[in-house]
Amino acid sequence: MVDTIVFLVAAVICLTGALGVILARNPVHSALMLVMTLFGIAVQFVSQEAHFLAAVQVIVYAGAIVVLFLFVIMLLGVDTAQNLEIGALPAQKWAALCFGVGSLALTGYIILAVDNPVTGRPGMGGAIDETANVRLLARSLFSNYVYAFELTSLLLVIAVIGAVVLARKPVKQLPEEAGR
Amino acid sequence: MEQYLPVLTLGVLAILFVLLSIVTSRLLAPERRTLPKFAPYECGITDQTAIPERFPVKFYLVAMLFIMFDIEIIFLYPWAVANNELGLFGLIAMAIFVGIFFLSFAYELAMGGLNWGPGKRVSNPLVSPERTTTSTIRKVGLEGRTPSVASSSETEAA
Amino acid sequence: MTGDPLFHDGVDLVDIGIMGLKVVVAFGFLLVATMFMVWFERKLISDMQNRIGPNVAGPWGLLQTFADGVKFFFKEDLRPENADPLVFRLAPYISAVTAFLSFAIVPVGGVFKDVPGTTGTVNIFGRETFLQVADPPIGILLLLAMSSIAVYGIMLAGWSSGSKYPLIGSVRASAQAISYEAALGMSVVAVVILAGTLSTHDIVAHQAGGINTWFLVTSGVIPFIVFLIAATAELNRPPFDLVEAEQELVGGFHTEYSSIRFALFFLAEFMNVITMSAIMVTLFFGGPAGPIFFGLTWFWPTIWFMSKVMVFLFIFVWFRATLPRLRYDQLMDLGWKVLIPLSLFWLMFISLKELRASNDWNWIATYAAAAGGLLLGGTLLITALRAGDRAYQKDSEDA
Repeated sequence: MVDTIVFLVAAVICLTGALGVILARNPVHSALMLVMTLFGIAVQFVSQEAHFLAAVQVIVYAGAIVVLFLFVIMLLGVDTAQNLEIGALPAQKWAALCFGVGSLALTGYIILAVDNPVTGRPGMGGAIDETANVRLLARSLFSNYVYAFELTSLLLVIAVIGAVVLARKPVKQLPEEAGR
Repeated sequence: MEQYLPVLTLGVLAILFVLLSIVTSRLLAPERRTLPKFAPYECGITDQTAIPERFPVKFYLVAMLFIMFDIEIIFLYPWAVANNELGLFGLIAMAIFVGIFFLSFAYELAMGGLNWGPGKRVSNPLVSPERTTTSTIRKVGLEGRTPSVASSSETEAA
Repeated sequence: MTGDPLFHDGVDLVDIGIMGLKVVVAFGFLLVATMFMVWFERKLISDMQNRIGPNVAGPWGLLQTFADGVKFFFKEDLRPENADPLVFRLAPYISAVTAFLSFAIVPVGGVFKDVPGTTGTVNIFGRETFLQVADPPIGILLLLAMSSIAVYGIMLAGWSSGSKYPLIGSVRASAQAISYEAALGMSVVAVVILAGTLSTHDIVAHQAGGINTWFLVTSGVIPFIVFLIAATAELNRPPFDLVEAEQELVGGFHTEYSSIRFALFFLAEFMNVITMSAIMVTLFFGGPAGPIFFGLTWFWPTIWFMSKVMVFLFIFVWFRATLPRLRYDQLMDLGWKVLIPLSLFWLMFISLKELRASNDWNWIATYAAAAGGLLLGGTLLITALRAGDRAYQKDSEDA
């Protein structure tokens, strides 16, 4: 009963946020709506007793990634309404429509056809002790998934190097400087 | 899940508090609108320059690096909780992770990505080396004033 | 079973009543404590500067904050014409609500030792409960989550004002907040390694055996120092108050806010000071731990807790009276180039130390490994810093 109410409220929060992200005219409003969606997902995690993931959802996604989005919006000064017709790839609209409909159909098929869509295992809401949660996570992170864990660090390296390279000033090659 | 119930209650109470304060203020506060009150703040003069539209890209680098550290911290917490259980294997796995990560941090440092200060302009000094504090600042007050008093009395005498 | 025992056998109306009581008490306590803190800061700083400070409203000017607060209600609420109306209204909510929520995980009392059969619970209306608003399984992560959400309050307030000083102030402030949040998170990891749990209640229970068991001592002071510096920066308190550097930015992100909306930012700021002090007491100074003398046993821990918090409130004011403001590059250098590498090394060291103690490894081999790591990391760091200075120098010459 309580679970159902929590699920419904969180689902409404998620969906409102998600619609807001695409419908808001102002990019900052979109980013805020994204935070709302992420928060709703965090609530869903809590209701599934995945407390640590809920915290991660808020700390990393809402607290860091959307902050980066907002920084980029502010850095570029695109926070005023822009004409979306200019600069968009012509095929983009149609491609987006195809992908959207396609993924929606796929999701619908999975939900209807498979019993436990995501993991193939029954859900385990409330099955584990609450503190053991993080320990279990650590145990599987450092046993079954230890290579994936180490590879994550490489992924982070790539991200940092990419950001630094992108942000560096290009080396100036003005003609009079090259002549000197 | 019920352990979050007090957090939720406190949150709702806080929202109500903010809402009530704002509503009360709206009821009590005067509304004497004049045009200057709605102008953006500019030290009492009219706007001289536009709002900055762009910011240094350094801020982007900081935010990017913060995401990396946040992800690292998120991995650190489960490891920290289960530190005794994971033992040496966990420590080495984490040391490798932190080590690789630290390399990228060092790379960003080595590229000057986290330097914020004014770069030293060696080739084009703004002030000449002769202009130092002692040559430009005259001390006011009783101590240290004697030579200038003496010099002024000399000029008066002349 | 963990978490607050109040909810262990289902939730009935009495449980909800007790929970409501705790929430309301915490809420009222926070408001009163914030008012007290504003008065305390003004009075103390005027003592330090040979002034008298507030002395008219109430005895020793105690009611000064209250008078100021009432006055705010009667002030005109302005919104600049360029402001984004929705976000401008939203920002004070984010700041105030996150400030309230962070306090929820702080254990403010409860006997953890000396009296047999107690593990920090008190008995209210026949129910056992912790003297803290909530003990969620994520525990201390709630603090990190709230401080990362609090960044939005600052950022959005500055952006939505449609005015240049708030915008510059908020970009600066959010960069500062996220820089120090990393250091803050890492210094907490050291405590989590020692306690083996995220729950604040269990963290306090681990420190119940006297000063020797306080995490300040067992973690080797460094995480505490890092936490104190990072917390000061998170709070935008002097010497890290670049957000409100009057000489360059007027009032920073809340320049355009007036009336009660400004008061809410102000309230949130001071409430965060109290919360951070309380968190420091919880993490490093044993929370409500302390000797129990006579009379009511549940009374003493709360007194100890409050006295410890008072010490930190004093320290924050002391910082303000003593230290000059840092320059922005110094701030960033301190956060990224000193605190983060230091706390990163230290938490690996703490983990190694703990494992050595539990597995009985050889002293020399263990510390040789730690020293080797320090040497390697330190060399890399210093080389990188030198290279960075050269690269930056070259860039600024080219420009």
